[in-house]
Amino acid sequence: MNPSIPTLAAIRFGYGLRPGEELPADADALLAQIEEGVAERPRFPREGLTGRIETATRVLSVRAAEAKAAKAGNPNADLRKETQRQAQRIYRQDAMGRIAQAIHSPLGFYERLATFWVDHFSTSVLKSLPMRMIVPLYEAQSIRPNIGGSFSGLLQAAILHPAMLIYLDQNQSVGPDSVAGRKNSRGLNENLGRELLELHTLGAGSGYTQDDVRAAALILTGLSVDNRALEVVYRPRLAEAGPVSLLGRSYEDDEGDGQDHILMLEDLAANPKTALHVSRKLARHFIADDPPEEVVSSMVDAWTKSQGNLTEVYRAMLTHPRAWSDPGQKIKQPFEFLVSGFRAFDLPEKNFAELLRDMEGEDEGPVEKAMEMAGVRAKENAKRKAGRANALTFGALQRMGQPVWQPPSPAGFADEAGVWLSPSQLSERITWSRMVARILGQKMEPSEFLAAALGDAARPETQRIVSQAPNKVHGITMVLASPEFNRR
Amino acid sequence: MTLQPNVLLSRRGFLAGACCAAAAPILTPVTFAAMPGDNRFVTIVLRGAMDGLDLVQPYGDPAFAALRPKLGLTPQTGLLDLDGFFGLNPAASALMPLWQAGELSFVHAVSTPYRDQRSHFDGQDMLETGGSDKAERTGWLNRALSAIPRSDARKAIDINTSMELILSGPSDVDSWSTQSNFALAEDEIAFLDRLYEGDDAFARAMQEAKKTDMSADALYGDAKRGAGIAEMARLAGGMLREDYRIASFSINGWDTHVGQKAQFKKAAGDLSTAITTLKASLGDEAWGKTVVLAITEFGRTARENGTNGTDHGTGGLAVLAGGAISGGKVLGQWPGLGDDHLLDRRDLMPTGDVREIAAAMLYRQFGIDPDNLTGKVFPGLAFDRSSIYLKG
Repeated sequence: MNPSIPTLAAIRFGYGLRPGEELPADADALLAQIEEGVAERPRFPREGLTGRIETATRVLSVRAAEAKAAKAGNPNADLRKETQRQAQRIYRQDAMGRIAQAIHSPLGFYERLATFWVDHFSTSVLKSLPMRMIVPLYEAQSIRPNIGGSFSGLLQAAILHPAMLIYLDQNQSVGPDSVAGRKNSRGLNENLGRELLELHTLGAGSGYTQDDVRAAALILTGLSVDNRALEVVYRPRLAEAGPVSLLGRSYEDDEGDGQDHILMLEDLAANPKTALHVSRKLARHFIADDPPEEVVSSMVDAWTKSQGNLTEVYRAMLTHPRAWSDPGQKIKQPFEFLVSGFRAFDLPEKNFAELLRDMEGEDEGPVEKAMEMAGVRAKENAKRKAGRANALTFGALQRMGQPVWQPPSPAGFADEAGVWLSPSQLSERITWSRMVARILGQKMEPSEFLAAALGDAARPETQRIVSQAPNKVHGITMVLASPEFNRR
Repeated sequence: MTLQPNVLLSRRGFLAGACCAAAAPILTPVTFAAMPGDNRFVTIVLRGAMDGLDLVQPYGDPAFAALRPKLGLTPQTGLLDLDGFFGLNPAASALMPLWQAGELSFVHAVSTPYRDQRSHFDGQDMLETGGSDKAERTGWLNRALSAIPRSDARKAIDINTSMELILSGPSDVDSWSTQSNFALAEDEIAFLDRLYEGDDAFARAMQEAKKTDMSADALYGDAKRGAGIAEMARLAGGMLREDYRIASFSINGWDTHVGQKAQFKKAAGDLSTAITTLKASLGDEAWGKTVVLAITEFGRTARENGTNGTDHGTGGLAVLAGGAISGGKVLGQWPGLGDDHLLDRRDLMPTGDVREIAAAMLYRQFGIDPDNLTGKVFPGLAFDRSSIYLKG
């Protein structure tokens, strides 16, 4: 017994059902979300794009000044710590903003795509302190606006952002045969060149060689980051003197104009191997670990016909009947699980925002005063609240193995269903379900909650078992822990 | 459909307690109310339908042994004799010193007015709302607060959102949480097993999770669960020792359809731990002014079922403890277990209303007027100063 198309559209291609939110009727409704999403300003970075660049550069200049003073023998540990604290706080605000974005946006398919692409073009806040502030900017600036256009445009936006260049060490790379390379011993760093071919475009095992990796890295030389302005810059002094040949094309010496890497990105985007690699990865993410080949091939056809227009590629996937068959083959990743859980509870946005305030311990409301009157220390209370808020959000994602903007490697988070259905994973999900059921579900009717969370995707046996639970909290817990809530 | 968090959170704010990122969070709410006066009252909701015939066994009833061939005990097989007719399940042996000190009583064959449907959710709703209009959904203990004389000065704190129904309502009540998470109760695990039965991958993961030390510790460990119960009771005792006078919390794990012997042992152990820990943390003086009332949504079938358990029934058992009672008695009117005396020939016949016990305790501890008790707190309840529960 399959769920209806609208239910499946919300579960397989979105972040699940939310009471009061209209289900996407069909493929067209899902595709219509893209234009809307692209035009929307996300909930992060909190200060907006230019605001974030200002904030980040301010923090970084304080840090640079301290580093300089430290070198001269006048370190200021407090100041240094303060910049760390600020960067961490900014990251936390934005990460909560990212969770809130996924929970509260009615554009579930667009949001899922944003998550897919930010994972495809992985960067991590753990790389360095500035990255805590830059990665959120990267998603908002480079990924989200470019999801519906050409793959080539998305690829260029993603690669040519400070976050990517820092994450994959491009800012360290110097052409051996460049002005700078000839002067000192710094040399080539192949990291970005390799991941560009292996992960971002052609795909592992698609036939390129180590020479190609090196060639790509050489072509990328000259690209660097202005750490003060947080901008990508082209430094001719670092650029390898050409020509460099890659996959049968010769990229000319460009010590002057610095456009050869753009040509290379365009060529890689247009390579048929890229179309196949990326189409299959999309289908594998949304449909099944082993996706139906006919879906993949119709996506590749659409890619070829439209010269890599991503909306056409999504359309080819969504309008294929096999994209809607055999539901439940994938396991929701932890982020999806948590987001869809909060959505099922219909948690108002301001209540979710209060979790962040709890974590920041800023809430000095009447409750704290009353706490002091009662002889219980306000500080301890704030700590407890912060712990609870953390356990519901960050702590949970950490424990389930998917903290926001912290992929384990440039390859992103695992996507295979089996990875997310381990015994410890299930334990963590049951634990989170109990916690959130106790906090948000205390007065809910489990059967109503089941209907709200899963609609016609709820199995009859789940309906029966949930309605017989020994207490309501456990009934709510079982809705969230049920196979059909964890599958998509 | 009404989904509560919208209302709940906007009203109460999203406040909570827990420990840290590394440790699993905490979850079990204890709710409190503070007010003048020295008397204390604690309710414990035993969720899942406690088998009263297993906790306090009527071994003297001639029909008992035949109804309970596997579960029934006698003083010769380990039952702790109470009064020559009833005996206490040895899983609750930690409570015997209280019995001997006159600080423990039981009321047999009681129930709420809830009949026939035997649904946990509806039964617990009735138990917690006290039979008020269902649409209103306030708890009787909360309504009792507003009826307590001189209780205007009580302090109000609201610490988290996980208020249970019994104390929910217009009167201000605080909710507080212990530091530790609870392991799942046995019946809850059994339900999860059923939930995963039709999905091999989930069923396998669940079986492994129960076996794996690391996961088992967090979610399925008995030791962890016992420690959690003790911590909750300690928290309640500590708060009651200070400004608070009313507390309420729940103990899960009583839905013993299958393999009752082992499951019941754990749940009864939890209840004993809760009561003895309350006593210890309150200290002699406060314990002397305390009444603890443990109640459940309904009893279980008089007969064992085919899977060494019992199914949902009607007449149940209430537990009274505390230094403020003159205990050492099994109260209530015993209906007998003969076929003709059972309700529908299957359940212990209820002969008393569990709400009347609660009303009597509220009257005695806080002087709530009987008119208020039968009008506001328990609408429709018959209760007056001659109640038998005021005599004990």
